[in-house]
Amino acid sequence: MVFSSIVFLFYFLPVMAALYAIAPRKLRNAALLLGSLFFYAWGEPKYVLVMVCQILPCYVLGLLVERYREKRAGQLLCALSVAVSLSFLIYFKYTDFFLENINAVTGLSLPLIRVALPIGISFYTFQMISYTADVYRGEAAQRNLLSLSLYIAMFPQLVAGPIVRYADLSGQLSERTHSWDSAAMGIRRFAAGLAKKILLANQLWALCSAFRASEEKSVLFYWLYAAASMLYIYFDFSGYSDMAIGLGAIFGFRIPENFRYPFISASITEFWRRWHMSLGSWFRDYVYIPLGGSRAGRGRQMRNILAVWMLTGFWHGAAWNFIVWGLLFAVLLVIEKLWLLEQLKRSRVLSRLYVLFFVMASFVIFQAEGMGQALADLAGLFGAGGIPLVSAEALYALRSSAVILTVSAVGATPLPKMAAERIRRGLTGTAKERSRRGFAGTAGSVIAGLAEPAAILVLFLLVTAYLAGGSFQPFLYFRF
Amino acid sequence: MTENRKNKIICILTALFFAAGFLLCVFLPKPEYLAAERRRAALRPELSLDAVMSGRFMDGFESWSTDTFPMRDQLRTVQALTATRVFLQKDNNGIYDHKGILAAVEYPMDPDSVRHAADRFRYLYDTYLTPETKVYLAVIPDKGCFLAKESGHPAMDYEAFERLMADQTEFATLIPIRDLLSIDDYYRTDTHWRQEKITDVADRLTEYMGGVLTADRADYEVHTPNQAFYGVYYGQAALPVEPENLCYLTDDVIDGYLVYDWQNGKEIPVYDLERAAGRDPYEMFLSGSLSLVTIENKAAEGGRSLVIFRDSFGSSIAPLLARSYERVTLIDIRYIQPDLLGQFVDFSDSDVLFLYSTLVLGHSETLK
Repeated sequence: MVFSSIVFLFYFLPVMAALYAIAPRKLRNAALLLGSLFFYAWGEPKYVLVMVCQILPCYVLGLLVERYREKRAGQLLCALSVAVSLSFLIYFKYTDFFLENINAVTGLSLPLIRVALPIGISFYTFQMISYTADVYRGEAAQRNLLSLSLYIAMFPQLVAGPIVRYADLSGQLSERTHSWDSAAMGIRRFAAGLAKKILLANQLWALCSAFRASEEKSVLFYWLYAAASMLYIYFDFSGYSDMAIGLGAIFGFRIPENFRYPFISASITEFWRRWHMSLGSWFRDYVYIPLGGSRAGRGRQMRNILAVWMLTGFWHGAAWNFIVWGLLFAVLLVIEKLWLLEQLKRSRVLSRLYVLFFVMASFVIFQAEGMGQALADLAGLFGAGGIPLVSAEALYALRSSAVILTVSAVGATPLPKMAAERIRRGLTGTAKERSRRGFAGTAGSVIAGLAEPAAILVLFLLVTAYLAGGSFQPFLYFRF
Repeated sequence: MTENRKNKIICILTALFFAAGFLLCVFLPKPEYLAAERRRAALRPELSLDAVMSGRFMDGFESWSTDTFPMRDQLRTVQALTATRVFLQKDNNGIYDHKGILAAVEYPMDPDSVRHAADRFRYLYDTYLTPETKVYLAVIPDKGCFLAKESGHPAMDYEAFERLMADQTEFATLIPIRDLLSIDDYYRTDTHWRQEKITDVADRLTEYMGGVLTADRADYEVHTPNQAFYGVYYGQAALPVEPENLCYLTDDVIDGYLVYDWQNGKEIPVYDLERAAGRDPYEMFLSGSLSLVTIENKAAEGGRSLVIFRDSFGSSIAPLLARSYERVTLIDIRYIQPDLLGQFVDFSDSDVLFLYSTLVLGHSETLK
């Protein structure tokens, strides 16, 4: 089930919220788990069993790791638990990739297994590894199987993250507070995420699809595609993360942030501190630092960076273009660490252009169906193959998508939030002024107070209109 | 207003919005037919273990819940207005509105589709016709031919389209009709041309095919059924556009036609006024999508007969062309296998006209 669907919004969510609200406090986790399994089964009925088969050994081995963590056996049990979790991921996601490459290199014809990828397996497998590793590092193991299952399978972040580390959520599984304020914050985030996905990402995807379908390629069209692709991935994924964080808040969970305006970054290093932050921190804490991080000399550090970013690319997809995508960032990060980072500080404009160009190029690779298409798309940006500068289709696409592209470009920066805050302050004054002058009941504050609920309702209405019209586009990150 | 009070309002309004949506979804009666979109709504899937385990139930439920969502038509209009008036997108679902006229973006030309259509026509020629048969071809341009450039939408090269079609069907004589048409000759909310505006096209076709013009345009009587006509683009675009009126022409000759529907084995009227009030009002012309129809015209002299391979545009012009023929046979090879035609149609001593719109030639996968 996807958040941006009629079934989720008008069937699942109202029932789930009502069940949760009326359930006694002790049964709330059970209600949430039951709903989460239903949510997952809606898209993958058979793969609920796969997930359960991953959770059970994770639970048992977690308890054993806790018991023996001071001994050598604890390390082995931790490794075993990680291996069991990874084995599912490798089997479903990477087997065919390895078989295809073995066949290509050796000339063999080993049959492919051709199994469908369980939705969200990359995300929840990483959460399981996080759990085991955190227990090994000293976190108390979860004795309640239901709570552990909820940590892994909780529907807001089950299928596309953010990847929530066990240490961040363990306390909330047993004790969490609910309030109007946190629920309203959740609703705001959920509405914003839905709007990002439906009103912007889906329209940007339509532009990308038009480019792919076109036989009238031009340099302009390649650049439009590259820009739309970059913005699409951002709004699709950050929209999902917003919805996950929002839903989490509605049900009393604090799910960590995943994006912080990555396109305003002045370096690739900074970009990755703002983009898919939960994945970045996961790799840092569970791969980069255990490998030695930056503590074992420059050479080892560079090796560790390459390893982490190759794995990051591979995590995104079992294809060479994803590995190249990851390695491109590895190379850029190494160059920045060695030399470029200091140079980038000299120009705010050039540094941002540099980031935007390489991020855009990287997402052209990311979005391609294999390296052949990736290279052709990159070459198209520079007019390779004698394509014209502009074409009728490209001009039409530009004219038709100009507002969407502009809104998306501005929306990817902090400007809208700053503008909203300025308007709110203009109407109500600052918090200090409000408390000093007693502004709580002024006309301005009433308008500001009503404008936000109204805006949220309008967003929900618009999203419903787009969904009822059938404009449906599955989330990009579901395939990971 | 305090932050806490505002937050309470947000929570309560949101809860009410989704609760109301849920109740309406569950308890409102579900439509079986989506009139604006001219299609049946998805059926509610049957619940069974097999359907659930295979995912069929979920897929079916998603389609059904979307198709039958309360106030779907109004919401589609909200979506269309947001797309075109707020985001200033040049089209919605591939349909655009220019000064109250709806048209589809038909760009670019698909040469493979044109060639496929030509191949199907060649098959008919090779199977049923002889070198002595007089074969003609006329290509009806879609509305984009007259509207796209003015409205800033990409336009096919219609001349190149026609030339490609003619080059691929060298056994047929091309009859140019594009110069006789303008955007005013089409319904504003529909794909089709207006019968009362194409008498000159009928005259051109008749003259090229060696017929004698037997009617003055002024002799026709123009009729208008009472129902407001919303064309096919209206439903697809979901944009608020005024309806118009269908028109049809009669005179003594047309009134005397005997029309037979071979698909259903019955006599049918030239203009079916019941269909004018139905789901697709343009089907009033010769009862719409039928595979094989004949028009007998007892008033005609000379024993000439004409076979028209056609799409839906042919339904409205055929009554005008039939004036010069004793018998006109209309064949729509979207609905009948060409191999079967020999059982029903005698092609000897008949002229043959391939009369197709660019809409069908450009998407010719429907031609059998």
